[in-house]
Amino acid sequence: MRVQICIGSACHLKGSREIIQQMQALVKEHGVSDKVDLNGAFCSGNCVNGVCVTVDGQLYSLSPETTKEFFEKEILGRL
Amino acid sequence: MVTNDATILQVKHEVLYEVAKLAWEGELDEKRHELPYKMIPGPQAEWRCCIYKEREIIHQRVRLAEGLCPTSGKDTRNVVQVIGAACEECPIASYTVTDNCRKCMGKACQNSCKFGAITMGENRAHIDPNKCKECGMCANACPYNAIAHLERPCKKVCPVDAITYDEYGICVIDEEKCIQCGACIHSCPFGAIGTKTFMVDVIKMILAGKRVVAMVAPATEGQFGPDITMASWRTALKKVGFADMIEVGLGGDLTAAAEAAEWAEAYKEGKKMTTSCCPAFVNMIKQHFPQLLDNMSTTVSPMCAISRMLKEQDPETVTVFIGPCIAKKSETLDLNIQGNADYAMTFGEIRAMMRARGVELEPEENTYQDSSVFGKRFGNSGGVTAAVVECFKEMNENIEPNVMKCNGAAECKKALLLMKVGKLPADFVEGMVCVGGCVGGPSKHKTEMEAKKARDLLIGQADNREVHANLKEKGLEDLAMHRH
Repeated sequence: MRVQICIGSACHLKGSREIIQQMQALVKEHGVSDKVDLNGAFCSGNCVNGVCVTVDGQLYSLSPETTKEFFEKEILGRL
Repeated sequence: MVTNDATILQVKHEVLYEVAKLAWEGELDEKRHELPYKMIPGPQAEWRCCIYKEREIIHQRVRLAEGLCPTSGKDTRNVVQVIGAACEECPIASYTVTDNCRKCMGKACQNSCKFGAITMGENRAHIDPNKCKECGMCANACPYNAIAHLERPCKKVCPVDAITYDEYGICVIDEEKCIQCGACIHSCPFGAIGTKTFMVDVIKMILAGKRVVAMVAPATEGQFGPDITMASWRTALKKVGFADMIEVGLGGDLTAAAEAAEWAEAYKEGKKMTTSCCPAFVNMIKQHFPQLLDNMSTTVSPMCAISRMLKEQDPETVTVFIGPCIAKKSETLDLNIQGNADYAMTFGEIRAMMRARGVELEPEENTYQDSSVFGKRFGNSGGVTAAVVECFKEMNENIEPNVMKCNGAAECKKALLLMKVGKLPADFVEGMVCVGGCVGGPSKHKTEMEAKKARDLLIGQADNREVHANLKEKGLEDLAMHRH
């Protein structure tokens, strides 16, 4: 599964690095590194909502606070 | 340096400069739409059919400079992108009979063609493009060299056959195949291929008051003449707003030491291994030889090693790689690697960003050195092997490995093919997708030969510290160097 997290400056300032670190830790914790491929993405211009994250092409808006819940629901839930 | 795209380089640089200027002034949102009109004032078109096409090309280049895909609504994840409006739809018919044809009596062309594609026209032979299988027999057979092989320059240089065309003949990159090496970019005489840049992101990070640290590639020394030293870069980058600069050669030392330990173990087990520092080579293995992933070194690249070091010192640091490489941009997008570099930029991009702030590289004494000479030579073909062999020596390991030094994409591909079928004669593969190594990277400022004298002079001024001693002195012996 390809997960893309925006690393553009706007998303960075909204906490994308924190989200990335949480995701890296969660992937390790659940032992799914062979199934989940974490990728950065250039800014796609959807900066208004929150940190842009796409899972297999579908776009979501995340914040560091919602990352754990999102990971469990949208990533682990789909594996 | 003679390139296919001299005029375009100026246009590209002007676009980057204008975008950087607006970004520094915080006026990008209001004024980006004015740039095509400012840069192409008209009324006469200079290069293309009309000013409207020229302006659309500028518009698409501005989008790329901002890190967006050239055409709105057609977002793809590739770093290397086709600027659709700039593609001249070069003819695809690849074997063409030229004026040299004398319609001779021998007709070797016709006799050599196994597909019946050649007939005699009024003045010269004619090749039916629907029958031609592009085998090249006719071109070899003609005693007058009258048959030319026309291949699109972009397609010709692509080492992984990733260039295709759409129904209108416009270049399309097959993103499943593309390894982001960037070879096609400067091959196009119309400048129709470019890359997304992180330039605006880096400017915004600096403006937001973040601690942004530049990591300058080992291939840099010599690129800008004998007077532009690493100290010159440090001064200029600090003037632009970077908190500090460090040479990635030190990361070369780190990678060499870790890889030496890894290789020593593999050597004793009889396991063959490859390097992992060239991102285009890593992409080649991942996308074209996935069965060899187990044989790829697990050591991170010098860029990532320095990024980890900087983030260990201060977790808030934003790390930016600067070098002649395009594929490094794709490496920063690999978030499976912890502590990876945040952004990567080319020489052209950083120089546009500096020029927009009125900063130039100025001659300065060669006083700054963080890396051993071996780390500094990482950017040359054979440099990684030399550094690893030096580490074996320092570790008192009595190993004389047989390394296949692959200089350029074709040699890399060949070695990986041999490895795949179990016929690799060597113990290890050093893979560098650009000919000459990183110094031959797509965004180089000078060719390897042009820069050689200055490079040898500058590196010759460095002291002769050993790799392990250097890491020990800097307290870096225990830095985590595994990919995961």
